[in-house]
Amino acid sequence: MRRIAGFPDRDGLAVMLILGVVALFAVAISTMSARATANPMARGPAPGSPDAPLAPSYASAQTEGGLMLRASEGEVAANIPAVRLGTDIVADVSGQTARVTVTQAFRNTSDQWMEATYLYPLPDNGAVDTLKMVVGSRIFEGVIKPKEIAQEMYEEAKENGQKAALVQQHRPNMFRNSIANVGPGETVLVQIEFQAPITQVAGDYSLRMPLVVGPRYIAGGANTGSLLNAAVLAGASDLTAPTADPDMVARAGGGLNPVSITVNLDPGFTAEAISSPYHAVNVDGSGATRTITLADGAVPANRDFELRWSAAGDAPSLGLFRQSHSELDYVMATITPPSVQRVGEAPSREMVFVIDNSGSMAGESMPAARRSLLYALETLRPQDRFNIIRFDDTMTELFASSVAASDRNIARAKTFTHGLEAEGGTEMLPALAAALEDNHSRSGDPLRQIIFLTDGSLSNEAAMMEEISQNRGRSRVFMVGIGSAPNTFLMRRMAEAGRGTFTHIGMGEESEAQMQRLLNRLAQPVATNLTASVEGGNIDFTPRDLPDLYAGEPLVLLGRTRHLQGTLTVSGMIDGERWSRNVELGDAAQSDVVAKLWANRRIAEVEAERWSGQMSHDLADTAIEELGMDFHLVTSRTNLIAVDDTPSRPDGAMLTREELPLLLPAGWDFDHLFGAHSAQGSRDLPLESEKQRQRLELPNTSTGYMLTLMFGLLLLLLGMAGLGRERLSARIRSLLSPGLPLRAPA
Amino acid sequence: MEAALALPREQSAPKGRATKKGAFWRALPRLVFLTAVLCGGVLVTKALYIPVKAEVAQVLLARAFDQSLAGGAPVKPWSWADTAPLARISAPRLGQSEIVLSGGSGEAMAFGPTALVDDQASGITVLAAHRDTHFEFVQDLLIGDDIWMERIDGSTANYRTARVDIVRWDEFAHPSYASDTGSEGLIALTTCYPFDTHEPGPLRYVVWAELVAE
Repeated sequence: MRRIAGFPDRDGLAVMLILGVVALFAVAISTMSARATANPMARGPAPGSPDAPLAPSYASAQTEGGLMLRASEGEVAANIPAVRLGTDIVADVSGQTARVTVTQAFRNTSDQWMEATYLYPLPDNGAVDTLKMVVGSRIFEGVIKPKEIAQEMYEEAKENGQKAALVQQHRPNMFRNSIANVGPGETVLVQIEFQAPITQVAGDYSLRMPLVVGPRYIAGGANTGSLLNAAVLAGASDLTAPTADPDMVARAGGGLNPVSITVNLDPGFTAEAISSPYHAVNVDGSGATRTITLADGAVPANRDFELRWSAAGDAPSLGLFRQSHSELDYVMATITPPSVQRVGEAPSREMVFVIDNSGSMAGESMPAARRSLLYALETLRPQDRFNIIRFDDTMTELFASSVAASDRNIARAKTFTHGLEAEGGTEMLPALAAALEDNHSRSGDPLRQIIFLTDGSLSNEAAMMEEISQNRGRSRVFMVGIGSAPNTFLMRRMAEAGRGTFTHIGMGEESEAQMQRLLNRLAQPVATNLTASVEGGNIDFTPRDLPDLYAGEPLVLLGRTRHLQGTLTVSGMIDGERWSRNVELGDAAQSDVVAKLWANRRIAEVEAERWSGQMSHDLADTAIEELGMDFHLVTSRTNLIAVDDTPSRPDGAMLTREELPLLLPAGWDFDHLFGAHSAQGSRDLPLESEKQRQRLELPNTSTGYMLTLMFGLLLLLLGMAGLGRERLSARIRSLLSPGLPLRAPA
Repeated sequence: MEAALALPREQSAPKGRATKKGAFWRALPRLVFLTAVLCGGVLVTKALYIPVKAEVAQVLLARAFDQSLAGGAPVKPWSWADTAPLARISAPRLGQSEIVLSGGSGEAMAFGPTALVDDQASGITVLAAHRDTHFEFVQDLLIGDDIWMERIDGSTANYRTARVDIVRWDEFAHPSYASDTGSEGLIALTTCYPFDTHEPGPLRYVVWAELVAE
């Protein structure tokens, strides 16, 4: 009796408390998914209004201030643009980095107030840190701001009639400059500066300046190889710009998007064999410093610029630089392991060639890819194994799995290669998955090298990266970029994830020579199992997993530490022998670019972590925004914005927006990309129509009931198991002590 | 002071209290396990309610759809429903068909795919449904698959899947008019991505299908 009467005291409260907590916990868990489902809906379109809801920004832009937004879906620009663009590029190469200043002059030839945007490429390992807007004699410095804030500032300035310049990053190698309120007849300069490392392979150095963004195939496009729909449908509109009709370019003369380039070369040694494979150049000066200019003055922005040089005699095999930035030390070490000449036969290997025969390869790219592949087939020896996979939006594997490189098989492969025609869309993912499938994975197996020949004109980078980082196994992925404007960002990242290298091979005769170089490199001994350690100091180095190195390639390490000191030891295996090198970090030379290069490298790592699922989207966004703000860099989360404080456009004057057309990369076949579809008639695009895109927030469609179910079942099982065990032990107790008298009830 | 206070308590603590305390601690595991069983049961029921509701609703909806089709006017599937069938969408290759509901509310989505946008004039339709119930099949759609849309007015349209996008939920946009893309009609099936996780995320999987010209 007393027990029952005493129940609601302290002990009783404890029981109730526990019960309450458990119940609350259960309710919280079960409603978590339900809430997540409901929330985004609240921010989505109002229920019961099925008419297309306008995004607020679009709606207000149309009603306030008489602004007219011209959408950017027009794939082909047939009229000469009102705003004309001239670009001047000055690159100062010093040591192993280049400081590049790109000045874009926007000249308004119309009698309207104009807003212009221009999509342009930069080297994918470049870091944009400076923006200047020059209006007459006044210069406005750009500031770095989180994306949303910068865009708001730009929109506000635009509506107020103030001049404003905005630099956005759409992909690490694709940027967009927007400039608002350029008056009739006026010219506004937008100047950006960025830092880029110099590529170095076996004493050969190169600086590559991409000048044009090729029209991209958006994966999953309607119809075969439809570049038309690509721009129009959702998501990818940022990546596309109208392409100039060749007829219009002819009418505009050499005046559409001309580019002048100057390179001030000061590599720290006497450069030899200075050449530019795609443009004619003049080289002035002597000794260590040279000035390189384009022979023709200005060229159309339709192919990438590349400058190559080599070191006379032995290239320095070590570069060590440091910089202090907000109480931390940053260091960059470039170490070139010695090239070892192999004696005797190279071990047998397995090579899988993946060749892109999609529509974007039409023109000069497809023959270049064919020739490269044929050359590669020639180099196979009977003890090697190989396979060929071709893809457009379909895919064919020549053999079910890799076969011996017998004469018969090689002959079949050659016939197959000769028959490849550029047609259709680019669905690289299935081909990639097929290439990574490794049927002969045994320990001690030969090298497995996957060689990808593509122009990389597609946009589902994320899925590709994920596929490689998850399934690479023992395979090494080598990316070969074909054509005048390959997507180097995607290819470099894919090669990195696949622990291989990226090579760009251009057009025509050059392709064989480049392919030969690559194949020679692949046959050379590799430096593997590389590790870097620091004695007497503590440094975070990136990359964390060091890649394999092929002969002549340098290892570039970027690190950050509280105080730079100690000895860096890099060691690994070269052709079966142990190799190591010690570097005194205290000897590093001062350089003011190291911190930014480190930040850029770190951003690339965060992106890689995001795509391989190691980091959530939100965390990656936050990390990138912090890096961008801290190091004053344009990133996917931060923009540079410059605003003129005094309004220039008078009240009531209309502002016309114009998206500047891009030239089709040299060697691309305009008719093949666009003409064929216009000829069909069904895909007739109204060029001058003003089309808008409707934004729509999509609701969350994850009920997450599986998670709740699993948790519930777990709880149920645990509880039942516990109860069962208790009953069992009580039973055992009573069986074991039958003699004890049971307490009589009160 | 403390000792003085504590002393009488010690003394007054009867033997029965100790027994009572012991009984409580003995009973505690059982209570915890019982609670676990109860909560587990509640959770399982709650979780199962979602797919069961989704299935049962579709049966009722199919009936309402047939009635709507026969009568030519929307018929509510049950008297208190705030939504009505709009169309039947089917993917013949996958043998799937679902009744589409009007109004993109989260509540309607528990019963079937809902139309976020369905504008006959512009030719744009955007549907959304849960990735783990009604639009589970969306992940299996391939480019070139047929999608049939049978409306309650008796008309039937044949769409063909043309592209797949993965976009953030707040970065989705569609053309104002299907004709902007040179199509006569566009339909987008949207659901959460990736498919193999159970937590909500920012990405959406969008399958675009184009109206096949007669």
